[in-house]
Amino acid sequence: MNPLPQKGTAVSSMIMTVDDSPSMRMLLKAALTDMGYNVLEAEDGVDALERLGGACSSGNGPDLLITDINMPRLDGFGLIEKVREQDRHRNLPILVLTTESSDEKKQRARSAGATGWIVKPFHPDKLAAAIRRVLH
Amino acid sequence: MTPLSNLPRASDGLRRINILQGETKVSDDAGVVLTTVLGSCISACLYDPIAKVGGLNHFLLAEPGSGETDVRSLQRYGVYAMEVLINAMMSMGATRSNLKARIYGGASLRDGFRDIGATNALFARRFLRDERIALVGEDVGGHGARRIEFRPTLGLARCRIATDRPVEKPRVAAPAPVIAEAVGDVEFF
Repeated sequence: MNPLPQKGTAVSSMIMTVDDSPSMRMLLKAALTDMGYNVLEAEDGVDALERLGGACSSGNGPDLLITDINMPRLDGFGLIEKVREQDRHRNLPILVLTTESSDEKKQRARSAGATGWIVKPFHPDKLAAAIRRVLH
Repeated sequence: MTPLSNLPRASDGLRRINILQGETKVSDDAGVVLTTVLGSCISACLYDPIAKVGGLNHFLLAEPGSGETDVRSLQRYGVYAMEVLINAMMSMGATRSNLKARIYGGASLRDGFRDIGATNALFARRFLRDERIALVGEDVGGHGARRIEFRPTLGLARCRIATDRPVEKPRVAAPAPVIAEAVGDVEFF
């Protein structure tokens, strides 16, 4: 058995990253593909909901969603609420990845249905451990 | 005698706020001047000319001997430092697509282990390009320390070379400017 999912195989988990910063999306994609995951990117909450719908209807829905909080059009809180409104995503793990660290915002994310909260700048080892914990 | 610049002088009645390494400050107050002194560090001065909001950060990707030599690790911190500034701007009413930038600093340390100043400047340029933020002015590189004065609501900056030598000497055991213990911490709900 391989300890990590392998690239390009059926066992690779799909992770959707949602961040309005192209630089942050690139860094996340590099880290996640290094860990062996497939990555689907979205640039804000609205884009994420559209891509989520498209991916799920073609049978390639993500196994985990990692989202920023501060984004235009629809922010991370709004995205989490919308995702949780859909029955099929009730158990989809959602990790918030943000520069914010106030208890008030963490509480808001928790109420909206987030699974966990990670403070930027992310540390790849800590991120990998968090992902393993929510995926298994 | 008429001043050559519209920028503030000591007796101009403007309030100066000095920004230290690792700090970020955003303002929509026309009476404020954001100032900082840079060696190999970089300051990005961002402003939204429509919302009349501006801000400045002051960061260093890494110092020699800090142990942070992995390129991606440096990038993660740089992207974080820029995101903190951009988020602060947006919370004060700026719009991401209106942002314009000036960058300053990135001087070379003559006796450093490597040219961290140039690395900082390259990072800032590439970040702005990737984020599609217009770079409207820059003064980077060289060997001198710079004093920056930035009018956040106007987007005007003045950059003066303060000395021939950078103010930041390479320190092997420099205090970590950036990455606190809590970085990347994870909390499960």
